[in-house]
Amino acid sequence: MRFVRRITEDSLVKNGRIESVDRGETFGFGVRAIASGGWGFAASQITTAQEIDRIAALAVEIAKASALTKIADPVLSEVPPAVAQYTTPVEVDAFALPFEDRIGLLVSAEEALRRQPGLRTTRARYAIQREEKLFLSTEGADIAQTLSECGGGIGAEATGDGELQIRTYPDGMRFQNSGGWECLSGWDLVGNAPRIAQEAVALLRAKSCPQDVRTSVILAGNQLSLQCHESCGHPIELDRVLGSEAAMAGTSFLTTDRLGSFRYGSEQINIKIDSTSRRGLGTFGYDDEGVPASEGWAVKDGIFVGYLMNRETAAALGTRSNGTMRADGWSRVPIIRMTNVSVMPGRAGTLEDLIADTDDGILMDTNRSWSIDDRRLNFQFGTEIAWEIKKGKRGDMIRNPTYTGITPEFWGSCDAVCSESEWVMWGTPNCGKGQPGQAAHTGHGAAPARFRNVKIGVVK
Amino acid sequence: MNPVFGEKELRRIAQEALRLADGDSAEAVIVARTGALTRFANAAIHQNVSSLEATLRVRVVRGTRVATQATDRLDADGIRAVAQSASELARIVPENPQFAGLPVPRPIAPAPTAFVEATATASPLDRARAAKLVCDPARAKQLRAAGFVSTNVQEVAVASSLGTWAYSPETTSEVQIAAIGDAGSAFAHRVSLDFTALDVRGAAEEAIAKALRAQGPRDLPAGEHEVILEPYAVRDIVGFLGQQLTGLAIEEGRSFVAGRLGQKVTGPVTLVDDPFDGAGLARPFDFEGQPSDSLALIEEGIARAVVYDSGTAHRTGNRNTGHALFPNPFTPASAMHLRLEAGTKTREELIRGVKRGVLVTRFWYTRWVHQLRTIVTGMTRDGTFAIEDGEIAYPVKNFRFTQSYHDALAGLRGVGKDLTLLLPAEAFGIQASSQRVPVLHLASFNFTGVTAH
Repeated sequence: MRFVRRITEDSLVKNGRIESVDRGETFGFGVRAIASGGWGFAASQITTAQEIDRIAALAVEIAKASALTKIADPVLSEVPPAVAQYTTPVEVDAFALPFEDRIGLLVSAEEALRRQPGLRTTRARYAIQREEKLFLSTEGADIAQTLSECGGGIGAEATGDGELQIRTYPDGMRFQNSGGWECLSGWDLVGNAPRIAQEAVALLRAKSCPQDVRTSVILAGNQLSLQCHESCGHPIELDRVLGSEAAMAGTSFLTTDRLGSFRYGSEQINIKIDSTSRRGLGTFGYDDEGVPASEGWAVKDGIFVGYLMNRETAAALGTRSNGTMRADGWSRVPIIRMTNVSVMPGRAGTLEDLIADTDDGILMDTNRSWSIDDRRLNFQFGTEIAWEIKKGKRGDMIRNPTYTGITPEFWGSCDAVCSESEWVMWGTPNCGKGQPGQAAHTGHGAAPARFRNVKIGVVK
Repeated sequence: MNPVFGEKELRRIAQEALRLADGDSAEAVIVARTGALTRFANAAIHQNVSSLEATLRVRVVRGTRVATQATDRLDADGIRAVAQSASELARIVPENPQFAGLPVPRPIAPAPTAFVEATATASPLDRARAAKLVCDPARAKQLRAAGFVSTNVQEVAVASSLGTWAYSPETTSEVQIAAIGDAGSAFAHRVSLDFTALDVRGAAEEAIAKALRAQGPRDLPAGEHEVILEPYAVRDIVGFLGQQLTGLAIEEGRSFVAGRLGQKVTGPVTLVDDPFDGAGLARPFDFEGQPSDSLALIEEGIARAVVYDSGTAHRTGNRNTGHALFPNPFTPASAMHLRLEAGTKTREELIRGVKRGVLVTRFWYTRWVHQLRTIVTGMTRDGTFAIEDGEIAYPVKNFRFTQSYHDALAGLRGVGKDLTLLLPAEAFGIQASSQRVPVLHLASFNFTGVTAH
């Protein structure tokens, strides 16, 4: 049983006006039950004792109905019932700041964008959230958690000659971390606004991305984080692998026979599953089955070695859950979600070092378009901006850049990952999965990395 | 029976919120719903859920200062807290000189009811039995069924201190099925406002029969192919184009019809937004309580209209068409009752008209690549076949496509005579819209890659 209270504030300044200041509070509870060998879940936003009785009975009634098609009883891996508390480390409580300070940052940043002539649309946004959760189980768990998040960004759009060009900072208006206001204030939105605005306008006159050629691609950290999310984070979800998501999110090419032996990427590739990472959106004390946060490897030295698991799927593999059951609020049933799935830093130095080490290629920055097939193999991404790399130097700006590939071939072509100084914990606060749909907040640390012989330019 | 809380109770809650709001004017929007969804995979139910959810969103206006606050606590304390908090925020938010004020109430014409009691009273066992109607026959054919059966009850209510009151009770039921074999899968989908009329058996038969034909897909090179698109794929095209047929998209310079109203933008298709379509999820008002116009957005390929909410209409000097979405920062308005008008041919007749081409059951993971040119990338999924000499010849491996959707419609060769009711994904936890779409026959579709299955 989970009680969840979530408070949010989301503000947007656009084209010189306060587009929206929107606060929300949601509070309710959900009950998950096994009865007659079936699963049932029921939830309500009415928290009276009478309603709690009704919902608990409904969860059992639903579970018994589920048993109509039962093939086998659920088996759960063991977890010691915890009595514990956890609170996200916060330096500056965003909710405690004067509202004028929060909105003032957006007004200043958006104003700084608008100083650039030639822009069609300018935006600045923040989103802050605090979630209090209480998890109780018939096994004896009693876990209280307070999780805080903060994020936002700026964006500029320019139009002309049949083009619409977009630049955002730090990452597609959706950057978000676990923590307080420091997660956003550290990005210097005001100071970066002139550059972002200028780049949006310059993209209108930039070269088009070369068509249908293969070259070396350096992905900026924010793009690599989404690449990791889509092509590693999702295929290591064990519920997908076992078919639970087959009709919607899909399945996975990382089948259980490949665990421990399949070459997922080059030896440069080390991908960690870590729900204890600083500032990660998937950082917590316990998951929504009461399993403690943990760290482990998904990919080690290029070999696929670990899944995201819950208690039921872990039991199917004869192991224990690594604590990845997460629900979108009180009204949704927990399902396996990414926590923080991060590409660990390499030894290639800074981004400038990596560019200097690249004779011919392209640098792509900040996601604009993303798509991948239902087994997570064939992907195509587009970014907001790119630059040619010629003889170790950043060259002309390129517009409408795209690249495409097949997941293990792509990761197998990685020959350099930048060092820890370039590594940033990025966030994806809009990961969709499940029916009814749920949005998860996931973390992905990444530094820039280089991939060889990648097909670019698929937009005519 | 009351759908969720009933009109009387929602009116009481809204009026109480408006009474407690301290501003020049205020608005209360309530969406209450009971959603139940029985999900199956590997031919057995594995997730089975029901939730009662309700959101009260209060917008308070002080001069040109506007703030909103939402809550799902609908007791007296919750209503008071949300009204007071929104009112306090409205004192301190910076002014928005472009704010037009809350819209003045206008008469709302009656629409066909979208509420069916039999759907509202469906039990967990009813849904489980429906799931079994899918799982058992799939298993009998050595296929694994995955998908869901759902029943949903929703109430939408809008009130304002200017006198607005709009209320709509609604139900939907849905079955989605992927029938999966060792070397191929197929998909079927049915929607009905009336759960007792939901064609679960028909959907199961469609998915299973197609899945049996989909086994062992062959390679077919990527490139430009003539296509037959099933309604499940067509809805994606209609949905993406619908996003661009808004006043905001024109204002922001990202619509393919910007500066082209009255001009030819596609082949001879007609796309309407019809809030009074009784075969869909009819709702004659928007989330600002304004009457929704029935509009021909594209008429025989000519761009005719786009939709507006009050704010965008005021800012751009256009008439409010009554298409405000549930308040959110990014998408203030949307067409919510899209219908791509039917043609004259059956699906089989359209297939017979293809010498060499590809039949696509549905698209997957579609995303904008270039909004202004309506270029979208995505994959085919769950039943892709080669067509040869007017017949479905053999299954093929799935394609990636990168295609301008409105350009694809320029190559229109035929439109099916039957319309399929489908529900787009929920937005903001609300079933805001429905679509009715036919099968399409297009001269060319740009497949830019192939996957391994």
